[in-house]
Amino acid sequence: MMVEHTRIVEDLAAYVLGSLDAEERRPIETHVEACPECARLVAEYRAVLGMIPAGLEPAPPPPAAWRAIRAAARDRRPVPWAPIATMWDWVRVARWPAAAALVAFLLVWNVTLQRELTRRAPGPAPGPEVEALSRRPGRIVILQGTGQPGASGRIFVAVDGGGHLAVSGLGSLPPGRTYQLWFVRSGAPAVSGASFRVDGYGRAWAKVAVPASFEDVRSIVITEESAPGSAAPTGAHLLEAAP
Amino acid sequence: MRDGDERALEALYARYGGLVYTLALRIVGDRELAREVLQDTFLRSWDGRETYDPKRGRVAWWLIGVARNRAIDLLRSRSHHARLREQGPIREKGREPSGPDAQELLLVRRAVGDALRSLSPVQREAVELAYYAGLTQAEIAQELGQPLGTVKSRTREAMDRLRRVLRPLIESDEEGATL
Repeated sequence: MMVEHTRIVEDLAAYVLGSLDAEERRPIETHVEACPECARLVAEYRAVLGMIPAGLEPAPPPPAAWRAIRAAARDRRPVPWAPIATMWDWVRVARWPAAAALVAFLLVWNVTLQRELTRRAPGPAPGPEVEALSRRPGRIVILQGTGQPGASGRIFVAVDGGGHLAVSGLGSLPPGRTYQLWFVRSGAPAVSGASFRVDGYGRAWAKVAVPASFEDVRSIVITEESAPGSAAPTGAHLLEAAP
Repeated sequence: MRDGDERALEALYARYGGLVYTLALRIVGDRELAREVLQDTFLRSWDGRETYDPKRGRVAWWLIGVARNRAIDLLRSRSHHARLREQGPIREKGREPSGPDAQELLLVRRAVGDALRSLSPVQREAVELAYYAGLTQAEIAQELGQPLGTVKSRTREAMDRLRRVLRPLIESDEEGATL
């Protein structure tokens, strides 16, 4: 059993990539259904596959593509669950539980999809300055919502100075308050990198002033402060990262 | 969309149409074919031929999976040598996206690009031949003149590295805010 598990783990990446033949896939599918460890690994590999195209240079689709999709969609409305209509004949007794289950499924499906689609407001297009900055050599630092569960942020730090911050999941602030990004340094006071407020969806995008001696930075934090910003951090650490 | 809500389809397209087309173009290497994949992907999601299952991940990953399968199906109608000839650097470099979440996508692109560049050349080759060219491990081994076991090891090592490097990015985007 353990030998089979070990052998299957070796093939899981190729399996998720769709790079195995049918006869190689079948035993893996059977094993994954019964093995939580392999199921978790499959989910993690799938997440990787979902991220890979995000690394490509974007190629905008031709404007006519959407018009063609919309026209074709109008010609063929979604299928009204034909398989259920067939089942109706021979599971007549179970029709109400089946209908209830279907309604529940549709509700969950729609809520999930709508939530994904409407969670965030469209942001403004990045200006040429931001695009130029993102092409410079540098690194990404991920901020975790240590004091604000659900919040997250990313900072791009260019090696030759400057940076920008994208953050989401923060709460709206009352007037007179602001969020502030800090570079906490060893043997020196924390220095402010940006002050910002979030939109109605808890998101913000801000240019960041990165200290010249970035090597001295031991953590990056976001706090809530009095507007227009404090000289030193006084609020709790809402997001945090170690560069 | 099950209810025929055209606005849901439009929102889905506005958010992910560019990503789906970019991926399709990278795989098929031809604008007309990429457009065909793009249209087919969204129409399949519309008319119920493909159904989103939240248990299998985010909407974006599901759409990417549908598009990748369609694009590779097109490629598989040719010999794998023809597929390899069609693979290469990105053929079209467009303007930056101007739709929703464009700024975060810039950062995500940067992070994913860095992760891919962190692979060794042979690891990256193994993943790209499987992901973009749709080759099986046996076909990759034949193409590279390497033992099948070597190809499988490289693929697994590459995917494990990407998994580790991208994990903070995926976890920081827990609710699929960007992808």
